[in-house]
Amino acid sequence: METQKRRPWRRWVVLALMIVGFIVGGMTYFVPVQPEITFAAEKLVEQPLFTLPVIGPFYLVNTIPPLAFTVLLVIVLAFYTNRSMTNSARTDLVPRGVGNLMEAFFELLYNMTEGATGAKWAPVIFPWFATIMFYVLFANLLKLIPGFEAIGILRSSATGHPVQHMGLFANVLPGVATNGSGYVLVPFLRGVSIDLNFTVAIALISVFMTQIIGVQTQGFGYFFKFFNVQTMFKVPFFGAMDFLVGLLEIISEFSKIISFAFRLFGNMFAGLVLVAIVSSLLGKISILPSMIMLFELFVGVIQAFVFGMLTMVFMAQATQGHVHEEEHEEVHEI
Amino acid sequence: MEGNILDAARFIGAGLAMIGAAGAGVGIGLSVQGALGGMARNPDAYGNLLTNMILGIAFSEAIAIYCMVIAFLMLFKVV
Repeated sequence: METQKRRPWRRWVVLALMIVGFIVGGMTYFVPVQPEITFAAEKLVEQPLFTLPVIGPFYLVNTIPPLAFTVLLVIVLAFYTNRSMTNSARTDLVPRGVGNLMEAFFELLYNMTEGATGAKWAPVIFPWFATIMFYVLFANLLKLIPGFEAIGILRSSATGHPVQHMGLFANVLPGVATNGSGYVLVPFLRGVSIDLNFTVAIALISVFMTQIIGVQTQGFGYFFKFFNVQTMFKVPFFGAMDFLVGLLEIISEFSKIISFAFRLFGNMFAGLVLVAIVSSLLGKISILPSMIMLFELFVGVIQAFVFGMLTMVFMAQATQGHVHEEEHEEVHEI
Repeated sequence: MEGNILDAARFIGAGLAMIGAAGAGVGIGLSVQGALGGMARNPDAYGNLLTNMILGIAFSEAIAIYCMVIAFLMLFKVV
């Protein structure tokens, strides 16, 4: 069987682009830019879009266009997977294309779910795991497109930075502006998961649904995990300790919300700070920020997976109850 | 050298707050050590061990992130 000789040509394109980047970065006309890092997302339009009576004004913040795009991507992926799977169900039951890829992913995740939750509750818990994971994955990966958090409009402010004008565009330089004509950069687009609203919203949904699934599987006896008065009258001292441990569980649920929100926010924010500062330090050698972006890719995938998997494990723990009661019986039989 | 003492104190506090991340690093190293030892003895339990290791790492890392939250609160003048 004769095959054509492989001619790898893409590597030469990458090498040429790297050399061009070196030369352009080394030109003294382009100076290193001041990194623009803010904790909260910036407003694009000064006037609020609409104002609700109790909650307050809603502004158009620079994380809202990427959020709309993320939701659109998830819906498009779901639509094409559905179409591919119904087509293959109609013809010969062999999945192809997008359906094939998604079936492989979902089988891997579903086996992991079954291992942690048991086969009975896996169909209930698995949609939460997979949805949260894909949503956060697309939000994290979208942040890596060049131009996010770097291209924006300049707003004049008294304590801003000096600016180097280059024709139609301007470059923000490090330092403080001397005569009060400084500028501050407001990026057009910012990664969605760097906004605390996004992460806290998903964390609240995750923890709230954990409680709902606990009630769904165990009935209202699920709340005996928190107000543990069952062993209080059998064994007085250990019963009182169990009651206090149960009260601590409530605090643990709240700390889960904070931990979920800040884990995702912190990892993505650290990536933003790292990319911005490395890009500003090494203006001449312009390859290194791409290595940092590669690391960001890895961290984004891992964080999405950890978010989904922790949701799944907490829901699995909520379905299993009264495990420690059997341990107490074993202790007393000695 | 000019500047505000409050700003200087904020920077020093943010740096001191991140010392707590050392404990998270040691904790993650210990849990991965246990998981790798278990996987080496019993390669069949790979999936189970991996799941529990990832869970343990996420809990350890949350403590480091609590330290980072305090550092951010100080750096970005929220408190």
